[in-house]
Amino acid sequence: MRRALLRRASLLTGALAFGTPASASADPYRLRVDSVGYTQSPQSPVGLIVLQGDDKANQYVDGEALVWAGSQSGNADVLTALVRLHDPHNYGELRLGRQLLTVGALRPIHVDGADARLRAPTGTSVEVFSGVPVQPQFAYRAWDWVTGGRVGQIVGQNTTFGMSYLQQRDDGRVSIEEAGLDFASAPASWLDVAAHGAYDLVDPGLAEATVSLASRLGDLRPEVYATQRSPSRLIPATSLFSALGDTPSQTVGTAVMWRMFPRLDVLPMVAARSTDGDLGLDGTFRVTLRLDDRGDGAITGELRRQGSGPDRWSGFRGALRVPVVARVHASTELELVAPDDPRGRGSLWPWGLVALRWAPIEHWEVAAAVEAASTPTATREVNALGRLSWAWGAR
Amino acid sequence: MKRAVVLLLLALLLVACARVLGIRPAERKPFPHHEHVTKGGVTCVQCHKGIMTATENDPLHLPDTATCTSAGCHAQPHDPHPCKDCHGLQSTREEAQMDLDNLKFQHLTHNRSLKGNCAYCHQGVQTNSDHVRPPMAVCLTCHEHQDDFAQARTCDRCHRDIRGEGVRPTSHVAHDGDWLREHGNRAYSARDLCATCHADKFCAGCHGLTVPALPEKMAFDDTLRAGVHRAGFDSRHSLEARTQPGLCTTCHATGEFCESCHARNGVDVGSGGASPHPPGWVGTRGERNDHGPAAWRDPSICAACHTGAGEQLCIGCHRVGGVGGNPHRAGWTSNKRPTIDQPCRSCHEGAP
Repeated sequence: MRRALLRRASLLTGALAFGTPASASADPYRLRVDSVGYTQSPQSPVGLIVLQGDDKANQYVDGEALVWAGSQSGNADVLTALVRLHDPHNYGELRLGRQLLTVGALRPIHVDGADARLRAPTGTSVEVFSGVPVQPQFAYRAWDWVTGGRVGQIVGQNTTFGMSYLQQRDDGRVSIEEAGLDFASAPASWLDVAAHGAYDLVDPGLAEATVSLASRLGDLRPEVYATQRSPSRLIPATSLFSALGDTPSQTVGTAVMWRMFPRLDVLPMVAARSTDGDLGLDGTFRVTLRLDDRGDGAITGELRRQGSGPDRWSGFRGALRVPVVARVHASTELELVAPDDPRGRGSLWPWGLVALRWAPIEHWEVAAAVEAASTPTATREVNALGRLSWAWGAR
Repeated sequence: MKRAVVLLLLALLLVACARVLGIRPAERKPFPHHEHVTKGGVTCVQCHKGIMTATENDPLHLPDTATCTSAGCHAQPHDPHPCKDCHGLQSTREEAQMDLDNLKFQHLTHNRSLKGNCAYCHQGVQTNSDHVRPPMAVCLTCHEHQDDFAQARTCDRCHRDIRGEGVRPTSHVAHDGDWLREHGNRAYSARDLCATCHADKFCAGCHGLTVPALPEKMAFDDTLRAGVHRAGFDSRHSLEARTQPGLCTTCHATGEFCESCHARNGVDVGSGGASPHPPGWVGTRGERNDHGPAAWRDPSICAACHTGAGEQLCIGCHRVGGVGGNPHRAGWTSNKRPTIDQPCRSCHEGAP
């Protein structure tokens, strides 16, 4: 109990330390407090208070933190608590604390650790990192530590590529060892190209790769992409399930965003997936109509079909957000999902929400909603949600 | 004939919906700068008084009714209301205010270089455009962007607080289309580019392990927000997971994440819930035995519940010499030593 109290106190102190405004500084800082509650039927209601802030202390130091505490005893944690030391031109940078590492082609990792980067005026950058895993609450440690880095190069203003490496160890053994390549370029004003690939070095083979080409042609923005993912290489090599054999799945797809009219966007998306010889098509057709020039009010409708994989389904989603009167917004959302094979879980799974948001005075906002659903596990479920927020600076 | 009627009806519908679709703007016309400046010979400073010496701290220099009616220009207005109620777009004034709030910019220093040639930057003035505010591309015709942005990834030289501005990129990495899926592939090469606008907690808000509540839950009133876990995701998460093998694993660690949530919600076998597996999942030789192909297809889903101590369930049947037989796919090889390294030795230890 005492430990939990000390933990909460240190969290709040940390948040305040990061969030305290630098009175003499013209640099921006932001603070936000949200208190959220929902009934979480059929379990007990859940309450949550979230504090977040970020600040530039001076041209060498900035930091950010997000801490939260829940209504259940001892339920509190830190999402990020990060100090960034850097020179005014960003040629050198050191990030210390709890952070999300996204280095090159390797998947995001949440760690307590350090990340250092050096950039040369020639566009070359070198980054190294090391850390221990973030553990929610007092859960057991999923692995021991991780280390790695990336070497990158910027060419011109529009092209960047890099090579990255990561090694994660668990119980003295290598659980993940990957090398990655990443590339992004805008070779013409109308074209964006990006690609990345991660190669498993423990059981050599491609773990994950994606190539994407997007274009800007006036009111059209077509994108084509291809992905390969090998699930057995994404789980730690110390897991029994990594030794079953490699069955990669491939996806080839396209999404075409079309601004059909100034306020009307149409977005069809189609993807073909192949897994272990099983080929299927997934598709989504989304239409969004803005109800005013700024998009404060909008309505969207989406039809979706998942025709690949063993559990195929179709669905519809509609959502509306509309300003009612000054400082009051109403919104609603409805989703219907129909699985091809219900297997006793109900043939239609509806979910709906009606919400109201009111910003009575500057910095303050209050929102309330009612959510209702019929799910595979509960025939009828109704929840109430509420939020009171105070924000200084931007969100 | 029938086709003509349909086309006519569609055309009528389009005309009727023109305002809703934004084809015919609901707002008034933009201010006729062209008529004033080019045809009327009115100079910019006659209306925008003090603009030539304006610094960052000065207010906007937009003309009011008194400016329009002074100097004998519109001595007898046709309407008692303020001119700006009908002439000029409110959105243009809001854009100007946004720039004043967010940019490190002085008309004073720019005027020294351009010698009163306002139209060099305000190109929209010549065409009566809705957008009199110069786009960023116009700034880059003079200002070298390479050092500040392309290398050091900082926008601070011109923007006071790019994160607080809340703007979205339009000329590059535009967040259009299926950006939710696309953003990861873009971010791999350009974390620091993303970081010019997004703080670490923004990314950790979805990808972090200690997330208090997902953004969809925190901002439940923003129903148009994109999100992987939006709306009835609780219901359809098993369908989504099976559609794209391994996708969940790219964020969620196998094992504890799924197991703890299922236990909390009473939908695991241990807490009295029903088995998620359909009939024919496990069988003896000659019977339906669907779990094998399913495990090959996406072992990460199996690992979600059966990892750690749960692996004993597999080892019980599939250890060398066990009744389950060899679980490896045909042609599978590994660099690991079967009787020494984990996880191999769980099944191979003691085997010949």
